[in-house]
Amino acid sequence: MKIRRVLSRVALLAAVSLPFAGVAHASQVTIAVGSEASTLDPQKRDDGGERAINDNIYETLMMRTPQGELVPGLAAAPPTQIDATTWEFKLRPGVKFTNGEPFNADAVVVSVDRIIDPAFASEQMSYFGTLTGAEKVDDLTVRIKTSGPDPILPSRMYWMKMVPAKYSSDPKFATEPAGTGPYKLASWTRGQEVVLDQNPDYWGDKPTIDEVHFRFIGEPGTRMSGLMAGELDVITNLLPEFVSSVPKSAAVQGVETAVIILSTENEATKDERVRKALNLAIDRKALADSLYGGYATPTKGQLVNPRAFGFNEAIEPYPYDPAQAKALIKEAGAEGKTITIVGEAGRWLKDRELIEAVGSYWKDAGLNVEFKIEEFGEYLNQLFDKNHRPDAVFVVNSNELLDADRETSFAYQAGGTASSNKDEEMAEWVKQARVETDVAKRKELYAKITQKAHDNNYLVPLLNMQDIYGFSQRLDWAPRVDAKLMVKEMKVSE
Amino acid sequence: MAASTTTSSTPSPGQPGALRNFFTELRYDKAGLFGFSVIVLLILMAIFGPLITPYDPAAQSVVARLKPPAWLPGGSWAHIFGTDHLGRDVFSRVIAGARISLIAGVSVVLLAGAFGVLVGLVAGFRGGRTDSVLMRIVDIQVAFPGLLMILLIVSVVGPGLVTMIVVLAITNWMIYARVVRGIVLSLRQTPYVEAAEMIGCKPGRVIFRHILPNLTSPLLTLGILEFTNVVLAEAAMSFLGLGVQPPATSWGLDVANGKDYIFVAWWLITFPGMAISITVLSINLFANWMRVTTDPQEREKRFARAKAAERRRGKRHDAPAPAPVEA
Amino acid sequence: MGAFILRRIFQGFLVVLGVTIVVFVATRLVGDPAKVMLPLSATDEQRAAFEHKFGLDRPIADQFVTFVGDLATFDFGESMWQRRPAMDVVAGRLPNTLKLIAAGLGLAIILALPLGAIAAIRPGGIADRITVFGGLFGLSLPQFWLGLLLIMLVAVKWRLLPTSGYGGWQYFILPAITLAVPATARLMMLVRSSVIDELNQQYVRTARAKGLRFSQVLFGHALRNAMVPFITLAGWEFISALAGYTVVVETVFAWPGLGLTAMQAIRHSDLFLLQAIVFTVAIGIVLVNITLDVIYKLIDPRIKLA
Repeated sequence: MKIRRVLSRVALLAAVSLPFAGVAHASQVTIAVGSEASTLDPQKRDDGGERAINDNIYETLMMRTPQGELVPGLAAAPPTQIDATTWEFKLRPGVKFTNGEPFNADAVVVSVDRIIDPAFASEQMSYFGTLTGAEKVDDLTVRIKTSGPDPILPSRMYWMKMVPAKYSSDPKFATEPAGTGPYKLASWTRGQEVVLDQNPDYWGDKPTIDEVHFRFIGEPGTRMSGLMAGELDVITNLLPEFVSSVPKSAAVQGVETAVIILSTENEATKDERVRKALNLAIDRKALADSLYGGYATPTKGQLVNPRAFGFNEAIEPYPYDPAQAKALIKEAGAEGKTITIVGEAGRWLKDRELIEAVGSYWKDAGLNVEFKIEEFGEYLNQLFDKNHRPDAVFVVNSNELLDADRETSFAYQAGGTASSNKDEEMAEWVKQARVETDVAKRKELYAKITQKAHDNNYLVPLLNMQDIYGFSQRLDWAPRVDAKLMVKEMKVSE
Repeated sequence: MAASTTTSSTPSPGQPGALRNFFTELRYDKAGLFGFSVIVLLILMAIFGPLITPYDPAAQSVVARLKPPAWLPGGSWAHIFGTDHLGRDVFSRVIAGARISLIAGVSVVLLAGAFGVLVGLVAGFRGGRTDSVLMRIVDIQVAFPGLLMILLIVSVVGPGLVTMIVVLAITNWMIYARVVRGIVLSLRQTPYVEAAEMIGCKPGRVIFRHILPNLTSPLLTLGILEFTNVVLAEAAMSFLGLGVQPPATSWGLDVANGKDYIFVAWWLITFPGMAISITVLSINLFANWMRVTTDPQEREKRFARAKAAERRRGKRHDAPAPAPVEA
Repeated sequence: MGAFILRRIFQGFLVVLGVTIVVFVATRLVGDPAKVMLPLSATDEQRAAFEHKFGLDRPIADQFVTFVGDLATFDFGESMWQRRPAMDVVAGRLPNTLKLIAAGLGLAIILALPLGAIAAIRPGGIADRITVFGGLFGLSLPQFWLGLLLIMLVAVKWRLLPTSGYGGWQYFILPAITLAVPATARLMMLVRSSVIDELNQQYVRTARAKGLRFSQVLFGHALRNAMVPFITLAGWEFISALAGYTVVVETVFAWPGLGLTAMQAIRHSDLFLLQAIVFTVAIGIVLVNITLDVIYKLIDPRIKLA
């Protein structure tokens, strides 16, 4: 308690003496994040505010390059598979947590056991549902067990942050973190900012930035003004319109994909011709250019993220063919029939605008479109309702693990979280792919799934979103595919 | 203000020829006249909005997004106030927004006013235990954390125009009850109401014949002032995302939508924001004039003040001695 | 006096009880925190576990009994969003809001007293007309709009002050001004009209006739007698700011106070935190009201406390 008070006083002093007109010290950056971290325990929540900070404090066995390629992180090499349900990791030697504890097999075992402990109730369990435990082989070798064959275990280990074996059970751990990463916590003033400074014992290359301030600013307009006034160096979720007005910006293909899920049971949409028409009626390129200023990419006939494992290169994008769409609607006798689109507003970038634009394309094709833009809670009710599927429901899917299992179990597999089809055969393939450890066979299964869903028009995949960042003039950074704010990759110039 | 002294001898509105007197008096108070004119304009905009907007306020156009106002480079007279982030005409949206603001304001004032007046009448008339129970309820609700409760309820029930009107009415009736009760209590002490009661007038008759007429003027002033509060509250709630929901239009909502674009398109928040300000300012100016004009005491004070000012001025002209006023 | 305070405390208790019931009923009616707070991909089991953990699956009556029991001990449970006791969050944010109100209301009082007095010296004069119009104008500015304009001009264009956030004195200026504008207008109008009324009183004429200077009359009598209504209104301004009118200012300036926290709690449908905020503010209002009554009594013994 006392320490925190001292820390906050230090932070207050720092804030007072901090020049606010943009003449900051060379090796310090300020990053705005939308919401405050509720805890700095890296294994507890599934929360963007916490992640932004802890990505710089903690590390994982596997990492990704900025382009999305999976590479060893705290592991010394890619894991080897011992049997169908066991993976062996060799660990990087000589790594220490900032509290002095060594990073070794014990730390990995504790990290795994801790996060999958039902009593711990981690919100990140949706990433680790297949894990059953870990065992130490020697000090730098550890084996991770899964309940069944789990081909994407290496990707999962890119999401699991490694915590120290002993200190992680201390109640203070949630507010005074200790990781192996390039930065460590300097102060946390609740409601205002988190300050990180360099970890002097970091095993990797020394970062060029000495100090990072994370400020919590919910309003996009306020973030924007902070950037324009020179108080902030990095803001996320920049609107495409502002790219030309901020000092600097950068965009990268993100992990989010907008899609409309069609029901195969409802009156109008059960007709395959209607579903096909719904796909052909939309000019995705025009939507990407006009609504998103070019900072979105038309999907390639599938929901699977183009960077993800299982993305099917062979599928052609749905063409924009309003004439054929009209003809198909006519042929199906669906002219003037009502399609209801269920959606929400405000959760994702320009969601309402996108829904309304898609609806107007469908109107042009000869259908009557009813918009049901619901309050978020009610929207979720309808999205998850297994018994009454809406004709069409809009959602933005996010794939942090960059594996097709995410999309297929969410929107493809019959009975999945938000699926609206009854294709049992395809559902079986999804289940098989989930446990198939042979990479080639698995890829083939996803190819079959995506092709079938494409041909049957179960989904109307719309756009892959890009993440746009605004930077101050002095900041140099290439944003990452996985949207992680890695400060060690940033540089400032004067 | 000095000009208004000449009018203070004319009879107050409420008597025969009141309308003409109303305008005669209003003409001498420029601020009041300005306020009144804007109010008339707003009412016309609210009623005939759909007929006079150059565009459908909800019509989007992706090719005409974020066009600046007509007088700036890049603007055109097709969109006098420019267009917003969806290519909607800002001028049309400002006109259309008047309707929501007035609907919200009028509905809330009527609902809250009707309920508050009823409670106030009952409390003032019945007196005794009824009075103390009702006024205790008023006291308790006045001490509620008002806006926080509104936010809480709206976020649970789900935002919308109707929700907002109901919630604002529920949280705003108390002031009417207090004012009306106070007036009723003091009126019942007056000889003519006592006389009316003594000769056996039924309570209904006493209320309608003797009490309500005396309530009209203070209630009108109170209602107008409360109206401005509701307009501001509506704007604030819509700004926070808890008021009117798109595709409906409201000035507060437009400022909220525009705030993210503040650096590339200042006109998005400026025009709807000005619409709110001018509306509230006009109503305040008009109410200020009306309060002074309809209240005999205030009229007298105004008269006295003006006379005093004349005298002071005259004195200074006569005697070049140091001005008596130094502060 | 003692009996009076007791009665006020009892009434305050009724207020808090009323608030509690309304809040409880409202939050449990429609809101479904499990759906909103868990990620989209959470399974049904996770949702059920979540509801179980926070007792949201128990009968409403049960929940209410627990709730009232916890109230007595100031235990509002854990904020679902922040994962720590809701009261801790409130305790951390309340001082920031109080500081903002103090700055804003202090500014309003400092401005309103001289402006109102100057206006009252010569009613209908130039100074009076300017202040009255300025006051009405100040009342007409929506605070969110004023705040955004200030940020745009002062912070971004001229780079004189920080755009948002909390810190040293520089961070206080813009939010305080934004909060102060309508309060200044109301307080100033009140000072003006009370001083005008006082200056027209018989005693003022007597005092002037006895040869007292105008400034002595103004400061010695008129302003002093205007203090009771002034304190009433200032107290009301304080209460209404506390009751939520800082929400807008805190949202615009990302000020880490209770108002912003309330908005965040709403966004995360964090019932426990929201309850704790409303409850704390309700108690705060009750305390301020009692304090004000006592102050009146101290300044002006003629006031009957009922």
